[in-house]
Amino acid sequence: MGKRFELLYIIAAITGFIILFFNVFPILNTFYWTDLDTIKETIVDKEVLASIWLSVKCASITTVIAFFLGIPLAYYLARHEFKFKNLIESLVDIPMVIPHTVAGICLLTVLSPRSPIGHFLDKNNIETLGTEIGIVIAMLFVSMPLLVDSAKDAFKWVPTRMENVSRSLGATQMQTFLGVTFILSWRGILSGMIVTWARAISEFGAVIILAYHPMIAPTLIYERFTTYGMKYAVPSNIILIAISIIIFIILRLVSLGGKEKHDTH
Amino acid sequence: MIHIKNLDIKLGEFRIRNVELKVKKGEFLVLLGPTAAGKSVIIEAIAGLVPIQSGKIMLNNRDITQLKPEHRNISICYQDYNLFPHMNVRNNICYGLRFKKDRNNPQYKKNFKAMVELLKLGDILDRLPLNLSGGEQQRVSLARGLIGNPDVLLLDEPLSALDPNIKTSIQEELKNIHQALHTTIIMVTHDFIEANYLAQRVAIVHEGEIIQQGYLEDIFQKPKSVFAARFIGVKNIFWVKNPEELSFFGLKEPAYIGIRPENIYVSHQPVNTDYQFEGKVGYVQNNQIYMEIECRNSTRNYLSYLTINRFFELNLKKDMPIYFGFNKEYLIHINK
Repeated sequence: MGKRFELLYIIAAITGFIILFFNVFPILNTFYWTDLDTIKETIVDKEVLASIWLSVKCASITTVIAFFLGIPLAYYLARHEFKFKNLIESLVDIPMVIPHTVAGICLLTVLSPRSPIGHFLDKNNIETLGTEIGIVIAMLFVSMPLLVDSAKDAFKWVPTRMENVSRSLGATQMQTFLGVTFILSWRGILSGMIVTWARAISEFGAVIILAYHPMIAPTLIYERFTTYGMKYAVPSNIILIAISIIIFIILRLVSLGGKEKHDTH
Repeated sequence: MIHIKNLDIKLGEFRIRNVELKVKKGEFLVLLGPTAAGKSVIIEAIAGLVPIQSGKIMLNNRDITQLKPEHRNISICYQDYNLFPHMNVRNNICYGLRFKKDRNNPQYKKNFKAMVELLKLGDILDRLPLNLSGGEQQRVSLARGLIGNPDVLLLDEPLSALDPNIKTSIQEELKNIHQALHTTIIMVTHDFIEANYLAQRVAIVHEGEIIQQGYLEDIFQKPKSVFAARFIGVKNIFWVKNPEELSFFGLKEPAYIGIRPENIYVSHQPVNTDYQFEGKVGYVQNNQIYMEIECRNSTRNYLSYLTINRFFELNLKKDMPIYFGFNKEYLIHINK
């Protein structure tokens, strides 16, 4: 019997191809704009390496901070219904709808020495503008909602009744959270952390407002593009793409590895 | 040993009102009622899992109303088992012991062995919940709830997710467990047959209130309301008000009366019961373990349950003339 072709699947195949082409082709096409020698030269360019390292470092710090700040709130939102819950959820998600340069300017108004918070930080010798702290703040602002939302969804998958059973057997709320809820939501939270990290490392708009220097990779690429043109921007571009994809794949494999291990039992 | 005084709970629009309940040590009490009556909320309040508005919960003369769930020594098992999927059966059963101050007490080892034996878990101790049948999961859930010697075991519809064969065997095991361990058990169910099999005492819950409680036989014989009567299987409930009927049933004033369908005798010959009627067969319905017969009389229609054997003996068909009746002792007087 021949295979039947359903119209919806044909449409899905065509649109799927368009999406994949749209995502992958521009990335691959970058390689045609340079040559191996220039890439080799760029790999040992200390400025490029420093900016990539800074990007990776700041995105990782951002993810860790987002984790510790976001998990308790995500858990509370997953477990409770209360007045104005929708409002709070919307406030958490606000950074996702604000253009990133606008977000950067909003943060600047808070961190500027003319604002109370900025003044307080300044007085205590905590520099934020033009420092790694500023970069992390900008990254955190735009990527935090992703972690909160992913963790919230992950917690919702663990039945409240399972927690009830644990409490009735003598575990405190914290012991139940750590021994049952968190372990069972870990995969979802890890996916959220990967997305948070990816969002943070790709941030540019908010970061350049708070910290043009020290330069994270996207800022350096932008600077080389505007100053020297495509020829000098593309090699750093390729290295950043390669590093991002490698880290992304490693993290995905880690999270999928956990899933397979869990499913095969 | 458990005494609930004037318990009020408000969960959104839903309310539990003025619940008074006493459960003796070692007793098996069943909270019986339809879905969404508030039975589960009551036991979750006993476990400390839902906030209460007012009232007191006393356990062994100690006020536990404000205690956190982990300090009450009351364990709960749900119909959907809720085994911890990342732990094997052994670790699921022993989960609660790690939080006990006296976790090294050799008694717990004995309890573990007893549970494994009583609930036949020996072959599955190293398996993960994912690989267990519904019946096995419920056995593990019971063992987990019982191993730490709880003062009270709360069971929320523990049999309702099981298929009929497994249900019967778990029901039997629950009875054995209760007889062997004398644990105080409060079970929630909507199924009167389960309550009938397991309970020593029953409390009927309706729209957030306990409308009647007492020993099974008392509730069975003297339901205090039409709702309670219907819920425990009294299918024939009539409002008697005309003088002829009042005198026929020996009543002084208009009242509800009830007759269980299994107490109505049907025959081709005039019957020799206290109350007798002549009529014909309405509908006949096969309910697998019994036959449901509608007996039509000029004034009322009665429902009768016949055994399959008796049904074939009578060879009843729709519109066939019959005699039917019941004895005085089976007439139930219902207050409201």
